Order: sequence, then C-alpha cells, then structure tokens
Amino acid sequence: MSHRPKSLGRLLKAPENFLTQADAKAPAQMRRKFLAASAAAAGTAVVSAAAAASNPASGLGDPNILNLPEHTKGLGMPVAANGYGLPSQYEKGLQRRESPGLTRVSAASVAFTPLQGTFGMITPSGLHFERHHQGWWDIDPSKHRLMINGLVANPRVYTMDDLMRLPSVSRIHFIECGANTAMEWGNVAVPTVQYTHGMISCSEFTGVPLSVLLEDAGYDRRQGKFVLAEGADGSSMTRTIAMDRALDDVIVAYGMNGEMLRPENGYPLRLVVPGVQGVSWVKWLRRIEVGDQPWATKDEAVHYIDLMPDGLHRQYSGVQEAKSVITSPSGGQLLLDKGFYNITGLAWSGRGRIRRVDVSVDGGRNWRTARLEGPVLTKAFTRFNIDWVWDGAPAVLQSRCIDETGYVQPTIQQLRAVRGTRSIYHNNMIQSWRVAETGEVSNVQVS
Amino acid sequence: MSRLVRTLLAGLGVCVVSVVHAEPVTKYPGIGRTATPAEVRAWDIDVRPDFKGLPPGSGSVAKGQEVWEAQCASCHGVFGESGEVFTPIAGGTTPEDIKTGRVANLRRTDYPQRTTLMKVATVSTLWDYINRAMPWTNPKSLSTEEVYSVVAYILHLGDIVPADYVLSNQNIAQVQAKMPNRLGMTTQHGLWATKGRPDVKNVACMKDCKKEVTIMSFLPGTAVDSHGNLVEQNRPIGPTRGLDTTKPKNK
Repeated sequence: MSHRPKSLGRLLKAPENFLTQADAKAPAQMRRKFLAASAAAAGTAVVSAAAAASNPASGLGDPNILNLPEHTKGLGMPVAANGYGLPSQYEKGLQRRESPGLTRVSAASVAFTPLQGTFGMITPSGLHFERHHQGWWDIDPSKHRLMINGLVANPRVYTMDDLMRLPSVSRIHFIECGANTAMEWGNVAVPTVQYTHGMISCSEFTGVPLSVLLEDAGYDRRQGKFVLAEGADGSSMTRTIAMDRALDDVIVAYGMNGEMLRPENGYPLRLVVPGVQGVSWVKWLRRIEVGDQPWATKDEAVHYIDLMPDGLHRQYSGVQEAKSVITSPSGGQLLLDKGFYNITGLAWSGRGRIRRVDVSVDGGRNWRTARLEGPVLTKAFTRFNIDWVWDGAPAVLQSRCIDETGYVQPTIQQLRAVRGTRSIYHNNMIQSWRVAETGEVSNVQVS
Repeated sequence: MSRLVRTLLAGLGVCVVSVVHAEPVTKYPGIGRTATPAEVRAWDIDVRPDFKGLPPGSGSVAKGQEVWEAQCASCHGVFGESGEVFTPIAGGTTPEDIKTGRVANLRRTDYPQRTTLMKVATVSTLWDYINRAMPWTNPKSLSTEEVYSVVAYILHLGDIVPADYVLSNQNIAQVQAKMPNRLGMTTQHGLWATKGRPDVKNVACMKDCKKEVTIMSFLPGTAVDSHGNLVEQNRPIGPTRGLDTTKPKNK
C-alpha cells in the first residue's frame, strides 16, 4: 500500500486551496434523499465479510478451541527480546499516514493519527500526528538551550539539566491542528476519520510551567503583554501567545506519556498551550521573548488566518472550540453484521471540560446522551460510548458535545452561515457517518 | 561562590573578580544563568510589524531578482506565481487594492488561489520569515542585504514598488502604507482572547429535531480509493473491517 503512487484518486491541493468551484458544486448535483427510519429494513445481504466465524461449522466446535495452537503448547519469547517494545505484528494497519495530494512536500506536511483504531483518551506516542513546517530533527539534548529575553529584568539561558531540575507538572491535554477537518468546509473530501479528524492527539505532558520561567527572568508585569515562542528548527517557527494565557496553563514540556518527547513532536523541548491550536505548541523550543505587541509572524499573518465572506481574515485565531467525532463505526469501515455495537468516540474543548455528549443514529432527528469515560479533564480528550443495536437499515451516526461553558458543537450549516466555506481553519462541525444497508460506513454531510 | 569561601579568599589576600556577569538572586539557586548580549543577538532575530528588530540596511529590486532566480524561483516560479510546490507568492492584487488597503479578490468565492501578497497585511512578516526560514533547504543563509532585496523583488512582483526601488529600513514604513491587504485583518473574533465569545450558537435539541434528513454531500465513487486500500488501514479484528477499496463494487 505504501507503494501506491500518490497521484491516484482525487488530488487535493494544499490546505490553502483545496476547494475548487467544481468541488463545491459537485455535492449539490449529486444530492439525494436519505431515507431515515424507513420501517422496512432491506432484506438484502448484510456483510459478514472477513468476520472470524467462531460458530462451529461442524458439530464438534471451533477448531481454534479444539486444536490447541503452538503458543499454548510451546515455549514463548524471552524477556527484553525488544528493548523498546513494539505493537503486535497484527496491528500494522494502524499507522500515521499522509493524505495524498494534500501537500507537495513531505517536510512541510501532515501525518494523520489513525483515530479509527485508538482507544481511551491517550494517543500512543508513536501514533501522535505530525505536522512539520521545514522537516524534523533529532536534536542532541545536551546542546539544546532555552533563552528567555525581551521585556525581562534578566535575560536567561537554561540547559535541559536546568529545566529538568525545576518543579515539574504533568497534565493531560489534547493538541489539535487548526486545520483539522479543513478539507470538509465545502463538501465531503476524504474517506475516513483518520483524514477528517486525525490532526489531533492527546497525551500526558510533563514539564515546567512557563510562568515559573517568566518569573525567574523577571518579566515586565506592566508592559509584557505577549510572549513569542520560537523553535530551533530551520523554520524557527514563531507564534505569539497572550501573556494571560502564558501565565495560566502553558507548559515548557520535555516529557510525553512517561518518556521524553519523540523527535517528531519536538524532542527535547516543546511548548504546550492547552486548548490552543497545535501550531502554537512550538517544537524544539529555543526561545521565549516577552514583548508589548503581537508579532504577526508568517504563521499568524499568511497562514493560520481564517478568511471570512467579507474578505477579512481573522488573525490570531487560536482557540479550538468544542468538537467531537465518532471514531467507530466511522467512514471507510464495514460493519460485520446486524446486531449490537458500541458506538465510541472522542470529545474535547479548548475552553474547558466536556460536560455532555449526545449521539444520533438518524442524522440528527433524535439524540441520546452517551456515557462519558473518566477522567473528564479540562482541555483533554473525553472518550464517550453508547449502546446501539443495528437493525440493518440505513443510518446516519452523529455526535454532538457540550462543554462546561454551555457551548454546543455546531452543524456545518451554522458554521458556514457565519464563516462561509473558505476559512480553512477551526472547523468543529458535527460529523456524519452514513451506514448503508450493506454495512458500509461512509463520510457524508446532511441537511 | 559562597560567602564563606569569598571571605576566606579575601582573608588570604586573593582578589575575587566577578566572572563575566553577576547572577541575579533567584528562587531557584543554581538553575539557569544570565544570557550574554552576544547570545541574545545571535537568536533574537524577530522583526515586528512596528519594525522593532529590523536591522539597518537596504536592498534593490534588481539584486532581489538575482537572488530570486538563483535561490527561490525553482520552488516559487520566476514571478512568484507557481503553486507547484507551495502556494503562490504574487498575483491577485491590483492598484486599487494598494489604494484601499483591502484585496478585492478575497471577497470573490470564484478566485482560484490566495497568494501571499493577497493575504499578508504586514511587510515585516515577509522580512522576518525570509530572514529566518528561507531558502527552504538552507535557511538563515541570506545576508541582510539579500533579505531586503528579495523582499523588494516580491513587492515589485505585486507592483507595490517600482523596478528601480531600493528597500531600506528608512523607507520600509512607507511601503507598509501601500501593502494591498494592510487593512484586511481583524482580531474581532472569539478565538484569540482566552475568554472569547463563540460566533455560532447551536442548541442541544433531543427529539424530533428535524423533519427529514437529506444527504447533501458524499464522497464520489471515484475518490473512494484516493487514500489507499482502507482494509489495510484498519484492524483485522473488532466490530468493523476497513473497506476493501480495490474491489470494483466499492468504486
């Protein structure tokens, strides 16, 4: 599969330009009615595809039970066969993947997290989504430095030794790229939840509160209104963060999920800006500057700006508002058969905790409240689950979350009414997955 | 150096010279140190919209064209028009935009590409980014004159400055006053302030929320396999399998 030429299928241009007029018009031409709640479930075959049948074909029983396998009758592998453990050989399908045609240069691209296969609220570090602006590096931590300068009494330099000696905090937060779900503003464009929502991950981050370092440097409390975070890579990514946020819950992090950050995620040091889009979580962090004005850097003046219908761009748009998505069943999957399913998914909000998640199986006509799995933490993934018995009839699955501010996740129509279809960033619409009579699940947008 | 040692050394007649910098008293003794002026100069390269941080210097459009053709054109096109590798730099702006400070094409839903010059409101952004991150495979290799020159060339591509222009720290503020989209940004939205107000309001209806549900958009059959064979992107166990998109019926 990795050998498939990238030119196959529909070519989507870079995120800035993914929507052509033809794209936008196509769905209208293909519009068709969805027959929700049609009483008569189709009598045609339901898929049982590759399901591992356990029902005995013969009267004796399942050969997987009757014939003891080698692993039950032989000697297994020794300890430390893998000094750093790896997933099972049967889990190879779940990989970070690029969306073909999204970008032309893999050093300035995205690899999406396979949300269709993850459980709970923590993203495995090896599956954490990637977004680099000028390639990634594995930096020697003994040579890495963090500088704090600008409107401070004492410009400071810290080594990793210094930073790891300071009081640390460990907090679980989601990180979502501002462009997550960007391809779906005008119409359905990609097949699976990996590509619609996979520019997001959630990890436990360990590090020093930025407030500790700002105070250590003696930041100017009167004039210091903003900080600039800067990376040590070629792009030297820079983003402005307002001082009230910088002092609130921002972390200068070196740890992720119990180990050091992975190189692709900023080893040995990155900024964690809870609730704010991923571009502000500057990787390979080398410098924090305190200033009295925002910087209007390239990634806050040319990209990561949201075009409104009146031709104005919203600048410094960073908060990731409440959003949820059903991860299973989800687009590009096939239900095994009629019967019981656990609809499961993720909800998150950049403004605090998730209070409630509702799920609809009829395209948003009726809703039931899902179970939230704990712990429910601020600006973190919240896993939800709800029972569903599929009767074999067409269905449209949706989830809709409410955060602790009372904000209700919007529909795509509500978002478009205010922002149009060209704003690229911050699409937190309710996602719809259509389940066909065949059991095929596909990405759709509904009225 | 502890006070005790200092006293002892002084008692022995040894002159104690402070080493480079006096370290301020901090809450975390032994952690971090004062940055030297040379270190701050080496890393503090950012240039703000008010031109704080802009090094003095100048560069001409002509020199910029030379640098551009040697180091930039292979990705961005000779006229900054290419969208082959990155989004185009120039195009889509008009003399009228330079007068109004708003790029009219941004209001058009049928305009194909948004170029850098259509979007960027601040000329400092161009200077800062080219200086820190360009060229693509060799960032931070351009001299101050080359950065001024390349910025001048880009501005000329947008007819913001004439062909014989020499951009400098002295006249860059005048150029700012001609940026085509200089009035095109707003921070009046809910996604900047920590406690910003949302721009949409949904309500959590639970029952009979709509009469009918219409599929407005779905993935065309031709695009089903655009992301590879989905059966290989899912687990071989569990409640579902990935769709085999190599099978004709799924296309």
